[in-house]
Amino acid sequence: MQFMLLFSRQGKLRLQKWYVPLSDKEKKKITRELVQTVLARKPKMCSFLEWRDLKIVYKRYASLYFCCAIEDQDNELITLEIIHRYVELLDKYFGSVCELDIIFNFEKAYFILDEFLLGGEVQETSKKNVLKAIEQADLLQEKTETMYHSRSFIGCKKAY
Amino acid sequence: MSDIVEKTLTALPGLFLQNQSVGGPAGVKASFSSRLGGLVRGITALTSKHEEEKLIQQELSSLKATVSAPTTTLKMMKECMVRLIYCEMLGYDASFGYIHAIKLAQQGNLLEKRVGYLAVSLFLHENHELLLLLVNTVVKDLQSTNLVEVCMALTIVSQIFPREMIPAVLPLIEDKLQHSKEIIRRKAVLALYKFYLIAPNQVQHIHIKFRKALCDRDVGVMAASLHIYFRMIKENSSGYKDLTGSFVTILKQVVGGKLPVDFNYHSVPAPWLQIQLLRILGLLGKDDQRTSELMYDVLDESLRRAELNHNVTYAILFECVHTVYSIYPKSELLEKAAKCIGKFVLSPKINLKYLGLKALTYVIQQDPTLALQHQMTIIECLDHPDPIIKRETLELLYRITNAQNVIVIVQKMLEYLHQSKEEYIIVNLVGKIAELAEKYAPDNAWFIQTMNAVFSVGGDVMHPDIPNNFMRLLAEGFDDETEDQQLRLYAVQSYLTLLDVENVFYPQKFLQVMSWVDASLSF
Repeated sequence: MQFMLLFSRQGKLRLQKWYVPLSDKEKKKITRELVQTVLARKPKMCSFLEWRDLKIVYKRYASLYFCCAIEDQDNELITLEIIHRYVELLDKYFGSVCELDIIFNFEKAYFILDEFLLGGEVQETSKKNVLKAIEQADLLQEKTETMYHSRSFIGCKKAY
Repeated sequence: MSDIVEKTLTALPGLFLQNQSVGGPAGVKASFSSRLGGLVRGITALTSKHEEEKLIQQELSSLKATVSAPTTTLKMMKECMVRLIYCEMLGYDASFGYIHAIKLAQQGNLLEKRVGYLAVSLFLHENHELLLLLVNTVVKDLQSTNLVEVCMALTIVSQIFPREMIPAVLPLIEDKLQHSKEIIRRKAVLALYKFYLIAPNQVQHIHIKFRKALCDRDVGVMAASLHIYFRMIKENSSGYKDLTGSFVTILKQVVGGKLPVDFNYHSVPAPWLQIQLLRILGLLGKDDQRTSELMYDVLDESLRRAELNHNVTYAILFECVHTVYSIYPKSELLEKAAKCIGKFVLSPKINLKYLGLKALTYVIQQDPTLALQHQMTIIECLDHPDPIIKRETLELLYRITNAQNVIVIVQKMLEYLHQSKEEYIIVNLVGKIAELAEKYAPDNAWFIQTMNAVFSVGGDVMHPDIPNNFMRLLAEGFDDETEDQQLRLYAVQSYLTLLDVENVFYPQKFLQVMSWVDASLSF
């Protein structure tokens, strides 16, 4: 995969992951033009586009567009399933995910994406394993934070 | 209430929160009172780009001050980093924060480190000078006793790593290939895959370890090794023919449902794995009868098993068909694959139709009769409301053009050309039309007319070869002298007429062609 973009129906970017080295200027240009092209598509049209020399696979989930650019030899249908799998993972993690979850917790969305698609390639892992990896880090963080805060609470008490 | 007051009031919570500290353990959902939340809501409330710019610049200057302040804790830095990522996503430059991202990854505890690494992967690129500073952190984390830190290090290496520093981490990663935890082995393989992509000669010596990964007891590790094998086989398939048996066996096991149920995706066993294996087999069996024979059985089985009505089975079928047509032909398989393509093309589901057309385009050279079988559907697709389907159909027709159908096909292409605005498409299509016109033109008049249409639409963007070839053709002519004279005469006449028309705008290249023709060929 070359890149994945998530954007709203108004064209606001919610997530961008690039798996190929491109300059900032090029990224901005591609994003702008591609978003316009995809938003112009009507609902009954097919989920695949040929745009410039790239193959684009996109799907809309509620108010969010998921858009991937793949290489010539890649299978378009399976890319649709990659998108779907990612949505399933987000759904399981956030519990009935909606666009707001992704907006306000985009770093978590990135973590999940990186566990599932590493370097642009799907890691064939069960859904269970992907979420376990994320949750493990979350739990460890919570434990550390709770300890930290109980200590600092005591610290505060001492200070006042 | 005036607009301005309203907007200020909405932006206030964001500004206030910058002075409070965010406490509490990191929950699954960030609360709306987080600073990012405030910023996002502030942005959403604004209506103009100019106001958004102002707010973001304000935010960026405050962030710049915070990140450089010595009193900023790592926790605050993490919060800042998230907002910096957000600002960059909206298109603003936050490069002052890059160095702090690296520091955060270096010094932070788990979640802070994770955000630091994430920021690095989003901000920097392969050749960025700051990337070298990351190497020490990665080395340290790879040796950490905390497995989550090791995973993070491996993850960042798989995404972005300076090529010159590969030797510094290579032995550490090789070591991880034997780790007891599946996730570490898997990520180590993917890190090596990244190294293979950016510096293949540096991993030359460890190919034997890839073989071990291929035979790993855990499916995830084996699947990860396939990414490397796919690339290596693509470059040199003959070096890996001996592995065909292993790949066939693995695919048999997957298709036969021998994998743990965890790997099922909507009751289809490991679809991504199946597709990867099918691709590898396609490469290995190409032009090689003996190797292809090893795979006929499993391909037959895959075609048979993928009977469910789900998108993912169609994806596997498509890949199967592709493989069947790439390897040494076997008639029974080809028949089944052709039936599959037929089902796709006739499907009411638009995505499948598109793929059916694509498959037809691919197989048309090997089996021209298949297109004839479906020609009614193909003709219907020409008038399909979706421009992508139309374009795919034109692509297909381009390949089956002959002297009989050239007029119709070129006409459809010209129609599409007229309504197309994208430069890339125009260039592409113009090239094709010119080629077809030259090859199959039934008579001179048609040829000139078609080339004129091509020039007037594509004039400014098309490849310079096209008008040059055209002029050369007119100058040199074909074999028949009288024919040539007629051709030139027709060309000259048509251009004189065109130039006479008032209030019309022709692309420059077209004008050049016309002037050249009229000047050099008129008598």
